[in-house]
Amino acid sequence: MNLSGCKRRILLAPLDPVHDVGLKIIRRGLDEAGHDTTLLPPDLAVHEIAERAVREPFDCIMLSRTIGYGAEELLAEFTKMMETAGLKGRVKIAVGGMGIRPELVEGLGFDRGFGPGTTVEEALAFVENRPARTERVRLHKTKPDLTAGYTYRFLNGRIARLLDDIAQDALRWAERRTTAAVERAQIRELAGVGVLTGNLRAEYAALCDPVIRDYYEKAIIPAAVRMVEEDEVAGLRRFCRTADGNAKGISLRHTRSKPAVLIQYGTGSLFLDASHMKVAEAWGADGVIHFDPAWGARTEGLLEGHVNYEGDGTVITAQNLRLLRSFLGEDTLFQVRAHRGLNTPETVVIAGQIGADLTKINIAYGSLGAGTDPERLAVDGIAALKYAAAYGLPYDIVTNEELCGVPAFKAFAGMLIVCRLGLLLGGRPILQPLFCHSPEAMITRKMEDNYIDFNAAKVQALRQIVDAPVWPGAPIGFMTHSEDRVQSAMTTSLHAALGASLEVDAVTIASSDEAYSRGPITAQARVDTLRAVKESFRFLGRGKVEPTAHAIDLAEELTAGIEAVLEQVREAGFVEALYRGMLGSPEDGAYPGRAGKGTVKHYVF
Amino acid sequence: MTGTHEPDAGEALTKVMDAVDLETFFICRSESEAKSLMLSLLAQMGFARGDVVFVQHEGPGARVRGRAYVHPAGDMPPYFGSEGGEH
Repeated sequence: MNLSGCKRRILLAPLDPVHDVGLKIIRRGLDEAGHDTTLLPPDLAVHEIAERAVREPFDCIMLSRTIGYGAEELLAEFTKMMETAGLKGRVKIAVGGMGIRPELVEGLGFDRGFGPGTTVEEALAFVENRPARTERVRLHKTKPDLTAGYTYRFLNGRIARLLDDIAQDALRWAERRTTAAVERAQIRELAGVGVLTGNLRAEYAALCDPVIRDYYEKAIIPAAVRMVEEDEVAGLRRFCRTADGNAKGISLRHTRSKPAVLIQYGTGSLFLDASHMKVAEAWGADGVIHFDPAWGARTEGLLEGHVNYEGDGTVITAQNLRLLRSFLGEDTLFQVRAHRGLNTPETVVIAGQIGADLTKINIAYGSLGAGTDPERLAVDGIAALKYAAAYGLPYDIVTNEELCGVPAFKAFAGMLIVCRLGLLLGGRPILQPLFCHSPEAMITRKMEDNYIDFNAAKVQALRQIVDAPVWPGAPIGFMTHSEDRVQSAMTTSLHAALGASLEVDAVTIASSDEAYSRGPITAQARVDTLRAVKESFRFLGRGKVEPTAHAIDLAEELTAGIEAVLEQVREAGFVEALYRGMLGSPEDGAYPGRAGKGTVKHYVF
Repeated sequence: MTGTHEPDAGEALTKVMDAVDLETFFICRSESEAKSLMLSLLAQMGFARGDVVFVQHEGPGARVRGRAYVHPAGDMPPYFGSEGGEH
């Protein structure tokens, strides 16, 4: 029996030529609650519905109207007939549907108007003369472990042997070297997550570039940086708490459990970052990625405190990261990028200390596509891999050097070397192939027919080499986005559907502002893309986007290319190979970085 | 928002998270004309520093999206509020 404890007789009638799905759904709910319903067919005249209402003792009449044109006149005519028949006031009358504005029809004499999005519960509550049960049920998500279930077993014996030789050699090479970044990381380990004090502060300052040293020694704030006031931080906290209270939560996934969907943030402003993080969480993102400024990556040392930056990218400080982390729900993944600059090991230490879930490290990309000297980043990167293992932080190995023009087989060789290094050091790496229309694909016409085969081939090739998690990025669909938000969101969603079809573990998505470079990303652009991805997962369900047979050839080509590159790298050594262009050459578009050049210190035994 | 209070444009703008986007289709001859129309429209609505995010002209006119960022970069947006975060 229903909640009112009373069985009602209800007449349901569509005031449209064809559309009655909504009424049928409501009827099913009413029937299931034990009421007695009569559904009239579509395309009846108003007087025919009224005549039926007069003939039988209904308690309630529910009309629907999908078409907006002429709705007001028809509805006014109906209520007039009810009044003439003496039913007005004795029988409850409601109307709902896409063509209905509730506030308008209630003025026409209806007891209730239901707009688009009306739930069965709302209709049922109306019939049963009770308030609708509208308590917000917060969606409980589970934070995914992207590395769960993977053995990291190498399935291609030849490549496994090459990687072992290269990685073991690189570890021996690194044992004899250190850098200021490694030493700063050691200080951070000792100091914990708070501000540096006493001797540690002085030692740390001595290892920094002048612009950072001046902060620690003379309290001089670098240009374009502003310290955020305590009352502003308090405002941020209140804003995020209220947002949490209002969020019901959306899950992007439909019937699949993968992939997790992550977004990148990093406006430079803690205010906008916090706002966008709460928007992304509420609209279904499973995780967020902290995007730091290029300036920070090319400067020795990190600032401290709550810091805003007047440029792209949010400054890494222990306090910034801890604050932003505190705004996120327990089920949201938090990744801190550490992959490309002069503060790589220190960033991993801070990420571990403040409870981040993931970091990002790639020595090859940071050296060839992001401006850091290869020798320097090799020493720092290996130290960072050790810290990631020590703090239990999985990390993706992004191959965005493809965006410079490096062919995928070279980028993948670098990624697999870092993967093997990480495994030897006890870490949990995640492979991150670029999932987009890359320069290589444009030049060699690998994607002439579709955007599916080459991306699918990348995932297939990696899976034939090693049993490891795959997280395409970064972001998916890069270089296919335009400033048109519909095209951009659709491109992202199609790539997400391909990722889901390939059963990848996660994807990093762009906002629909990805191609707009004259201002910060907006919240509405984030919502566009998250909604589009949700829709693509709903469309796909357990179905699939299928690559053509060409993907198999492309995967074989990639594997052969990777193997050939690794042969060369084994002969030269990893770091030397980076300088010589074996993992991406100037002809490809990759240049060994210069930041930190000549700063590696050699231990004297 | 509660009761019958009707917010004015100024109050509404304090609630914008970062930017207002304005989308339409202009009957016009070219993309440059469409841009000019959009910037003019944004300016007349009080947005002095409007921008055109997207414009494509085909056939009778142009699909256009204009944008105006509302809060100065780096400042705490007013929706955080002096009482803090009521939204």
